[in-house]
Amino acid sequence: MLRLGMAVLMALAGTSVPAADKPADKSADKSPQGAQGALLPRDSTDAAVFRGGLVYANYCVTCHGYNADGNGRAARLYNPKPANLRMSDKNDAYFGLIIRMGGEAMGRSQFMPPWGAELTDEQMKDLVSYLRSINMRPKE
Amino acid sequence: MNAISSTRALVIAAVAACCTGTFAAEHVVTQKAKAFSTKKLSLKVGDSIKFVNEDPFSHNVFSLSDAKSFDLGSYGQGGSKSIVFDKPGTVEVECAVHPDMKLIVEVQK
Repeated sequence: MLRLGMAVLMALAGTSVPAADKPADKSADKSPQGAQGALLPRDSTDAAVFRGGLVYANYCVTCHGYNADGNGRAARLYNPKPANLRMSDKNDAYFGLIIRMGGEAMGRSQFMPPWGAELTDEQMKDLVSYLRSINMRPKE
Repeated sequence: MNAISSTRALVIAAVAACCTGTFAAEHVVTQKAKAFSTKKLSLKVGDSIKFVNEDPFSHNVFSLSDAKSFDLGSYGQGGSKSIVFDKPGTVEVECAVHPDMKLIVEVQK
């Protein structure tokens, strides 16, 4: 429960949700959703990033940390330590593969589990969107 | 002391060692339906746990406890990994793939 709460907090803090940026003008919103607040389109990038943040907070923070810098609470077990995902130079396809197949299959750490059997395709895709959204590596 | 007496003494010593727990024991904990087969386990220093995966997907057992920190890595269906508990204390065992899986191991002197 605590983990889920942290996930929601982190996702809210770490992702931008444009629909929530502006105060809702309820008088102008005639849609049925207006009464509950605007919703992101399910297929939008922002929605994927939001969902991916929840996946990250539930499954990845233990090793990669809340800041995705490789300093999770389990990081002290590993040498080399978990990847700093904010500074990663890997592309989306690579992220997708290592998430699905695990580190060992990609010639990386055997301690990065394969998530293909645990996460849905959508969750893995959302996670890649989230990782891309937080990546701070300067583009070359 | 003749040969028969010596043999008898050895047998008695071996039985006494078994009964007093001198030999380390191996405890088996299975993982099935995303759960450990037990939620709590008490064992002696020197004992080990063999984790056996009976699920059709991978598990990754680890612990960050002071009494024992380890990561057994990922292993699939039918696979198993063992770990020796060499210090007394409480060890919280988790699965990296399934955050709801927890096992408390009380390691006694």
